[in-house]
Amino acid sequence: MSKLKANLPASLGLKILLLALVTAVLGFMAYLAFLAGEWLIGGVLTAVTVVANVIYSSKRFVPAKFLYPGIIFLALFVVVPVIYTLVMSTYNYKTGNEITKEEAITQLYEIGLTQDVSGTTYSMVLGEKDGKTAVLLTDQLSGEVFFGQNQELTQLNDGDYVAGPDGVAVESDGFKRLSDEAAANAEAYLSDLKFPAPDGTIIMAQGVDIAAKMIQAYQYDQATNTLTDSISGTVYIDNGNGNFVDQADNEVILYPGWRQFNPLQNYAGLLANPAIRGPFIGVFIWTFFFSVSTVVMMFGLGLVLAIALDKKIRGRNFYRGLLILPYAMPSFMSILIWAGMFNRENGAINSLLGLEIPWLEDPILAKIAILIVNLWLGFPYFYLIATGALQALPTDLEEAAAIDGATGQQIFWRIKLPLILQILSPLLIASMAFNFNNFNLVYLLTRGGPTDVINGETAGATDILITYAYKTAFAGTEQNLGLASAISVIIFLIVGLLSLWSLRRSKVLEIMQ
Amino acid sequence: MTISSVKKFPMSKKKSRRTASNTWRHVFAWSLILFSIFPIFVVVMSSFDASGGLASSQIIPTNFSLDNYIQLFTKDELPFGIWIWNTFYISAINAVASVLIGVFAAFAFSRLRFKGRKFGLQALLLIQVFPSFLALAAIYVIMERIYTVFPAIGLGSIWGLLLIYLGGSMGANAWLLKGFLDSIPMELDEAAKIDGASPSQIFWQIFLPLTTPVLIVTTLLSFVGTFNEFILASLFLQDVNARTVAVGLQSFVGGEYGANWNAFAAGSVLAAIPLVALFLGLQKYIVGGVAAGAVKG
Repeated sequence: MSKLKANLPASLGLKILLLALVTAVLGFMAYLAFLAGEWLIGGVLTAVTVVANVIYSSKRFVPAKFLYPGIIFLALFVVVPVIYTLVMSTYNYKTGNEITKEEAITQLYEIGLTQDVSGTTYSMVLGEKDGKTAVLLTDQLSGEVFFGQNQELTQLNDGDYVAGPDGVAVESDGFKRLSDEAAANAEAYLSDLKFPAPDGTIIMAQGVDIAAKMIQAYQYDQATNTLTDSISGTVYIDNGNGNFVDQADNEVILYPGWRQFNPLQNYAGLLANPAIRGPFIGVFIWTFFFSVSTVVMMFGLGLVLAIALDKKIRGRNFYRGLLILPYAMPSFMSILIWAGMFNRENGAINSLLGLEIPWLEDPILAKIAILIVNLWLGFPYFYLIATGALQALPTDLEEAAAIDGATGQQIFWRIKLPLILQILSPLLIASMAFNFNNFNLVYLLTRGGPTDVINGETAGATDILITYAYKTAFAGTEQNLGLASAISVIIFLIVGLLSLWSLRRSKVLEIMQ
Repeated sequence: MTISSVKKFPMSKKKSRRTASNTWRHVFAWSLILFSIFPIFVVVMSSFDASGGLASSQIIPTNFSLDNYIQLFTKDELPFGIWIWNTFYISAINAVASVLIGVFAAFAFSRLRFKGRKFGLQALLLIQVFPSFLALAAIYVIMERIYTVFPAIGLGSIWGLLLIYLGGSMGANAWLLKGFLDSIPMELDEAAKIDGASPSQIFWQIFLPLTTPVLIVTTLLSFVGTFNEFILASLFLQDVNARTVAVGLQSFVGGEYGANWNAFAAGSVLAAIPLVALFLGLQKYIVGGVAAGAVKG
């Protein structure tokens, strides 16, 4: 061991350089985040940088030196999303309920702008003064002229402006009219042209050459937590689920709503709301059935193959090379290839059989297709591990049983199989947990379908929980992130409990002392 | 070792029985081989089929051509070369970085003693069963927010996707690699310690060289894993030029099957060749690892 190189200045220099680089990059990013008002992101970046400097410039904290990069990534991109999933699952968080209550009220205020009863309209001339957008407004009835800039209106006296032939003011002191061309392209900032008048109304641009007197219909009252339509007199109350609804008829809902904390609603929906519960329970049962039966099938086929090739028959190595091809192929690709092969009209399977079997269009056949494809993908792996397990079996047991007069069948079913199952049970359970979330298989083969959209089905015949959650969150017209998160939380619980149970069984937790 | 070979009596029947038993082995193996290679055969044939358009109705094409391969590199709306490059570099960076992170952590858990070690190991064991895409709705919202400050590492960027992948690296690799590190005799690093080596010297100069073969296989498996990843990549990478091969090839055939089946077939063959070749080349190590993992439990 005397050959060990000393801690060279070069490696020390490299360490310092790396640390400086990381500090500079993360520090600069933190600065940008603070500048953008993202205190949380900036704070996290600062903390990561400071702790990194403490750990790597000190001689202490040796384990932390090795664990820090992994822990940071794990914490930020696994643990935080998991916790956030938990948080999101307790909110009514879906299309139409995505923003905060304050933002929703601001948006409702804009929606609630209606033309004032007086019906006053103005001819508007766009221009600029001192380099800033400005307008000249001429009341189409009374002929009064106003100059507007920076959300402020000033009335101009007769001598202060020059009117065009139609009586519309076009010039005033320092005001430069936009060319017609520029005005036509000014749509982008029309929505910024708002001028509150002293009487509580707002004068707003309605086009590039017209403005109108508007009134804010909605008024939010913090004390009573209600929104009142001052024109119709309707009172909208907070329905406790992220929307204002008509006091008299709670079916009249104002949009947008906001994301409302409602801890049990999504979970209760999964259990109680028939529209959500129905598909969910179907998906739930199929997920379990699929993940257990597919592992049984793959393991069964792999084990029989392992037994068949356990003996040194001619060509065994050649066979093995071909048999593990499905394991060597990129799996997403194999699934897409199978999807093409199962195509009803021109897929390879139907053309081989000379039939037109609707493999992916029939609910039962689609399930069978899923199982066939996963069998293809998975049996080589189980063949490999079963071969390993067979070779690890003690031979003396078998010989003793043979001497005692046991038949080959008895030896297999009573001695070998139980032993193999015992050896492989952690892997079988891990495989079930994997298939429980086998998103690629289902999504790329059937997209969870076939789905009876006409009858309003939201879940397809082959949807498993994770593809259903994905669809709930990101597909369709309504994206329900809260409900999708609740489904994810349920998957977490099931997979977590399954794994804990299997770890207890396999005693890994005790061995690792 | 097999069901029939333990039936040693009566002797006279032994020979005929053995022939019969070997026949079923061959028949069984061949039928599974047919099952195994059928899709591969179909996709290779389709990739040379010039009839274009729909998935061909004959399995063996009548007009062989290389058109499907050529169009992968000539059509602007199918930037296959860019997809391959994207996939290659994100998979390579992720594989190297995640195996490094994993082996750092594995070394700490295998050789260093510290407070929270047992808890850390248990937590990792539990975390590794959750694929990171389970939290996809939350990841989406978080990355959307990061995008508003840092578009380069937020939603839609391949670097943001890499960050999410790296999050899962410790869970995926630390336990696996700890198993290998545990099998290196303690005497080795104890001797080094007596000679005055620091833990980081022991790691870089003793452990890393010793574990190189294992690290190469782990890196490859990690590379293949990223190559195959679809769900997060498709959620993240909407822009056609930012896609990975998985997302890109899926878009050839997504929805309307047969829409671009032959081009998809050609792309698949090209993308699969290096991976399958690597896998078969390293078969001995990978098979050994899988079998050893199984027996170790």
